[in-house]
Amino acid sequence: MPRYAMVIDQSRCIGCMACVVACKRENDVPPEHYRTRVLEMVQGTFPDLTTEMRSELCNHCDKAPCVNICPTGASHHEEDGTVQIDRKKCVGCKACITSCPYNARHINKELGVADKCTFCQHRLIEGKKPACVATCVGGSRIFGDLDDPNSEISVLLRKTSHRVLKKSIGTGPNVYYINQYPTRS
Amino acid sequence: MELSITGTNAITYPVVHVWDWRVAIYLFLGGLAGGLMTMSAINYLRPGKKCGPMQSVCCWQIPVLAPILLSIGLFFLWLDLERKLHGHLFYMTFKPLSPMSWGAWIVLIIYPLMILYALAALPDEVKVRIKNAFIKNTADALAPHLAKLAKFNLVFGVLLAIYTGILLSTFVARPLWNSAILPLLFLASGMSTGAAVMIIVAKNKEVKLFFTKLDIWLILGELLIIALLFYGHYTGDAAHQAAIMPFFNSSHDTFPYFLSIVTIGIVLPLAIVMKFLEVTGKHTDEVTGFGLFLMNSSAVLVLIGGAVIRFALVYAGQLSGYGYVMM
Repeated sequence: MPRYAMVIDQSRCIGCMACVVACKRENDVPPEHYRTRVLEMVQGTFPDLTTEMRSELCNHCDKAPCVNICPTGASHHEEDGTVQIDRKKCVGCKACITSCPYNARHINKELGVADKCTFCQHRLIEGKKPACVATCVGGSRIFGDLDDPNSEISVLLRKTSHRVLKKSIGTGPNVYYINQYPTRS
Repeated sequence: MELSITGTNAITYPVVHVWDWRVAIYLFLGGLAGGLMTMSAINYLRPGKKCGPMQSVCCWQIPVLAPILLSIGLFFLWLDLERKLHGHLFYMTFKPLSPMSWGAWIVLIIYPLMILYALAALPDEVKVRIKNAFIKNTADALAPHLAKLAKFNLVFGVLLAIYTGILLSTFVARPLWNSAILPLLFLASGMSTGAAVMIIVAKNKEVKLFFTKLDIWLILGELLIIALLFYGHYTGDAAHQAAIMPFFNSSHDTFPYFLSIVTIGIVLPLAIVMKFLEVTGKHTDEVTGFGLFLMNSSAVLVLIGGAVIRFALVYAGQLSGYGYVMM
């Protein structure tokens, strides 16, 4: 069984937001909601400025607080390591939204259920990559199987310095960010 | 730093705003119902009470009120569900790591205990007015087991009150809630509000005075726990320190939180002073008008304080977090 994860190479992101659009189109996300976002952070004082583009999405954590808190078992881990929502079991109590340290969930008001990135599970079943990965023109989003030592992301994670977001919370995220910006002294 | 984000959701940006007054009311009424279970059981079981058996003189209305208040609280919680017709899904599984799942199942244990206790505590003059033979016979059959039921209610009242705090304290993503002190605060507050309602409802002066005395200690404990909660956050990491800042910042954005801590800082100590005045004063056999005013108004202050604590913590807890821009 694969163990899916995503690597974000921030140095390759051009901020085109195609990933955001592709996600909405692929998953019929209602107009006012998003499953992924892109942060553009400008730091420093002119002219000594740095810009960081960062894509964020559900981290499909190994120790996902949303899975633990869900009272009905709607939020659950699949065998491939991804965190998914069984819409038939969701009562819309919103505990999972409150419990997510990454603010990666929202309520789909049309269906009354919690919603978030699924790594495009329906595409994975067909052997395709998630829509955001397939559409990323800069090759910033890389997706694959951590259990396959020869997969692109396994190789990348071996070769590069990388981090996960909010590591200290201890949720074991499965979205990795390649370190581009050294700490400013 | 200049930040622009494409793809935010209103429910989580710029701050999480998921749960509202409905959840706060549920937490308040849940804690109050727990407090009433425990306090009415204490009233029945305490040695040296001078109000005779509960069936004849003491406040039988309290055990009846507890399930009603819990039901109202659960009604508000139900209103908060996005899919209101799917509530039965709580009972299709049991999740040992989910406090919400415990809560759903605990209710199934607590309701029968509350109802059996309320029936057993019905005095004869009330029972004669009951027309339904089944209810009347059940109440008669349960009456000899009142002491046993009171003991169960004492324990489960504590569990219900503390549970409302445990529910919030398990959210690691919300630093204000993520404290082991929070369940104790909700427990003390639930017991204190329970004692306050006992004071208001009880007719017997001895009962009123007993719970007035007890409530002084409960409020003192509550104030100490509030101080410890803030101190724990103040000495915590940056996210925990930031979590309590709304309470100490009187600017436009955080004024309601500032006001809440000011309100708690006024009503609870004021309630203590009023109760202290009453219990140290001279007492006649009858409750004087002024004495009644002191006891009842201080009890109302305690209820206001309890409600403010729930509302402030539910809303402020959602403001707290580890931020959008954290490495």
